[in-house]
Amino acid sequence: MEAILSIWKRDVIKSIRDKASLIGNLALPILLLIIFGSGMGGAIKFMTERAGIGNALSEFNFTKFMFPGVVGITIFSTAVISALTVVQDREFGYLREMLVSPIPRGSISLGKVLGGSTAAVIQGLIILVLSPLIGISLNFTMILKLIPAMLILAFTVSSLSLYVATFVKSSQGFHTALTMLILPMIFLSGSIFPLTGSPAWMEFLVKINPVTYGVDMFKKILLGSQEMPKIVQDVMGLNLSVFGYSFTEYTDFVLVLAIGILLLFLATGRMKKVEA
Amino acid sequence: MENIIEIKGLKKSYGSFEAVKDVTFNVKKGEIFGFLGPNGAGKCTTISMLSTMRKPSSGLALINGFDIAKEKDQVRQSIGIIFQENTLDEKLTAYENLILHCQLYHVDKNVREERISEVLEMVDLTDKKDKIVKTFSGGMKRRLEIARGLLHYPKVIFLDEPTVGLDPQTREHIWQYILKLKEEAGITVFLTTHYMDEAEHCDRIAIIDDGRIISMDTPEGLKNGLGGDLMELSTENNTKSVEIIKERYHKEPKIKDGTIVFHVDKGNEFLVDFVKSFEIPINSINLRRPTLNDVFLNLTGREIREDTQAKKEFVETSKKKENR
Repeated sequence: MEAILSIWKRDVIKSIRDKASLIGNLALPILLLIIFGSGMGGAIKFMTERAGIGNALSEFNFTKFMFPGVVGITIFSTAVISALTVVQDREFGYLREMLVSPIPRGSISLGKVLGGSTAAVIQGLIILVLSPLIGISLNFTMILKLIPAMLILAFTVSSLSLYVATFVKSSQGFHTALTMLILPMIFLSGSIFPLTGSPAWMEFLVKINPVTYGVDMFKKILLGSQEMPKIVQDVMGLNLSVFGYSFTEYTDFVLVLAIGILLLFLATGRMKKVEA
Repeated sequence: MENIIEIKGLKKSYGSFEAVKDVTFNVKKGEIFGFLGPNGAGKCTTISMLSTMRKPSSGLALINGFDIAKEKDQVRQSIGIIFQENTLDEKLTAYENLILHCQLYHVDKNVREERISEVLEMVDLTDKKDKIVKTFSGGMKRRLEIARGLLHYPKVIFLDEPTVGLDPQTREHIWQYILKLKEEAGITVFLTTHYMDEAEHCDRIAIIDDGRIISMDTPEGLKNGLGGDLMELSTENNTKSVEIIKERYHKEPKIKDGTIVFHVDKGNEFLVDFVKSFEIPINSINLRRPTLNDVFLNLTGREIREDTQAKKEFVETSKKKENR
């Protein structure tokens, strides 16, 4: 138990000391929000007004719609590279120090995943500061719900990251492997654009992407999307359902957690075979 | 004396390649045991197996009475390892590296601070306690690693090429610490090296080549095994000289790079008579005690190539630095 904590603490200390990437990681989400959000929002508003359905969608604001997605992207992009520390530990030798110590492999993976998750949640909290600018007013209950929600998405994505890291031997290899994951997982999660009317193959990919459920959770908490007018929900794809079952923020939470635990077990299994 | 490491028929193969072929030996409690051999001889693989990093293909090894294949955690608790390459976290301070080690090795909370001061004192790094490791020199990092390896009071400490890539002065310092370990802490030291002069510090040496132990004894014993001193001479006519030496003194001289080499007992007495009575003009003559390199040469017919090795390491370390 203490070993898990100390591995976790090591990564947290190091990510806090690394001010450059702490700020750098915020660049993508902020750019998405300001440039993509404003541009796309303007275009959608123009289209709906010209088509004469502006009134029905008057409650709709694209930047606001995007914000939960951007929180999701922030968490995702920080967590997905978190296992870079494992790859670097391997390159610079520290992994050996851990692997020859008398602590179980499971503790090493859990400590690593929790370290990555914490760093991601810190980033997510920084992004939340922007919410008043977007027109979303945060209240205490929302934050109370958001923190575990962010943590669980971060946990799952960090576990995925660790699983990938056990297959690669160098930082370059890790980046290459992640390139194939990052953009598809962001695009196919409903974080940047509504996934309404997408083709069946795409919908399938969306529904097997754990990030989708994380983003859905944020939408439900931040936008209160379940109380929005039906037409806005439909148009913006806010009612995520699989086989006719409509997800709530709680079932989203459970599903994401379950995927995370599965990935953590897979990663630990791989860690046992690692010969550093 | 009691054995702290017992190894019987240890083997490791990768596919059809046998890295370690049937190794059997014991290490006594409190001794400095050296594993000497060229790179690729199987030193590293053996150490990896003993430190539970790799699984042996067959054979048995006990450390502190625990089986390296079945009781990994107990073995890991009993040993300290200083790897060939740096395994410190360079972004953390010396103290943070040490406390992390205590946590990974379940060192009792009450004694942690005390032990950290103790090991830092031993390697003269007390004043660098709160400095980030990245700012340390190569020798300081090595010393810190040795200090870290001692925190959990291991019974055996493994040093894999402890002084590779360090300057001669630092190497000497590191050796002072290693000898101090043995004397003050009574720890068994198991080290690998391809530096002959360093192997001289060991109580016993096993010479390993091509996955097999080809000889094992004290450094003196190994050198005495060669039969006394070493004569090296060059003459006006080496071929003829060799014949005379064979006939008259019943030696087995070899010619290497224009120098005749042979072994003699009590070399200083022999030298005087030899020079007086030898009829072929002598260009140069040299008498010396055999070194471990001569032992290795005699056993394998090859030298341990220190120069090429040192060069290779230099290239590797500079590459590593560039990557960072």
